[in-house]
Amino acid sequence: MGLSFLPTRVGDTPLAVETRGVEKRYGGGAAALAGLDLQVPEGAVYVLAGPNGAGKSTALKILLDLVRADRGEARVCGLPTTRRPALVRAQIGFVPEVVETAYGWLTAREFLAHHAAFYATWDAGYADALCQRLAVPLHARVESLSKGALRRMALVSALAHRPAVLLLDEPTDGLDPLAREEFCALLVEHLTTAPTTVLWSTHHVHEADRMADHVGVIQEGRLVMQAPRDTVSASLRRYRAQVPPAWTGAPGLNGDVLLREGAGREIAWTVWGPEREVASRLEAAGAVVRDALPLSLEEATLALLRAGREG
Amino acid sequence: MLIDLDLSDGRPLYQQIVDEVRRAVVQGTLAAGDPLPSVRALAAELRVNPNTVQQAYRELERAGVVYSRRGQGTFAARPGGDGERELLLGDVAERAIRDARRFGFEPHELAEAILRAAGNAATIPSTQE
Repeated sequence: MGLSFLPTRVGDTPLAVETRGVEKRYGGGAAALAGLDLQVPEGAVYVLAGPNGAGKSTALKILLDLVRADRGEARVCGLPTTRRPALVRAQIGFVPEVVETAYGWLTAREFLAHHAAFYATWDAGYADALCQRLAVPLHARVESLSKGALRRMALVSALAHRPAVLLLDEPTDGLDPLAREEFCALLVEHLTTAPTTVLWSTHHVHEADRMADHVGVIQEGRLVMQAPRDTVSASLRRYRAQVPPAWTGAPGLNGDVLLREGAGREIAWTVWGPEREVASRLEAAGAVVRDALPLSLEEATLALLRAGREG
Repeated sequence: MLIDLDLSDGRPLYQQIVDEVRRAVVQGTLAAGDPLPSVRALAAELRVNPNTVQQAYRELERAGVVYSRRGQGTFAARPGGDGERELLLGDVAERAIRDARRFGFEPHELAEAILRAAGNAATIPSTQE
């Protein structure tokens, strides 16, 4: 790939979730994961961003040992997921993208009681409080619940045992805007009371913008970039500049350009690198830099994905 | 004290919290000895990662803007007087200069335009009386 200048290793810090060279192919299809090296530090809120079909759900299912990797290794809290699956699952709270309703005839209350039996650390008082906050219809049958209500019930079942690791797969899908707000508030409150590592897979990156401190961008089963959020914020800028007629570009900079936009003598380049250095190299090449605009997390993700596709 | 965050701002969220607290101290809406919200309460209110608030409070404490008492919370320190005001004004000026440069204006042109605009603004109410 032409994007080798982007960071993909988080560095020396204890990891709550780690995968090494994980590969997975379903049947005869294309690879769902093609060498995934996920590094989620302890206590991080890690946003795993990428389009549908990039491998996000497969990655989470491998961590839960619901899917087995063809190659590579996955660890949660230092435990290999395939060797101690029960122990690993006890450490995890999981909100799946699609809530399975295998026990559809149970009421939500009965479903949660059944779920609670698997977790030694289940806090019934906390579960009740969460149900009330999220307006989970406890007396309705699970099979009769709307997508949103199922989501909210799944959230209670993921949080009430205060897991060390929380895996969220598109957690706000199917929630109305008010419920999304409530979800984010609830998650923040949960984090202030229980030390939790969050791996949040989503294509609605803006929802995680206020909370994310680590970002991974996944495309076609592998990471385009993985870094602390502050590194991403500090390193990516959209430079708008005026250039002389028949400008041929800035030598020494070309390796770090993610996107080239603009028309005629006005360019808008998205570049990875220290702002002063990038700006001075552009100026040295004859460009007059008008500004260097920071990117929101969502814009940054989109730029990385577009560059990854073209690169 | 009202803390406003702007996600399209280039500053990291913790820095925005730091700047907002500084502003409140300079403006006097946060007086010496006033308590700041707990990390938990502010994180919940702003919907941000609690670590972000913690980082902001650490930074503010290092800068002497706030102090913490074990088990009691975080409190505003005595304001740094003119030094703190100047720091804040410097930030405002830098932002204005960046904005002006975007449209191709130099700092001295901006300064002149500000004085002109301020002069006009001052005369408007009197002409309307």
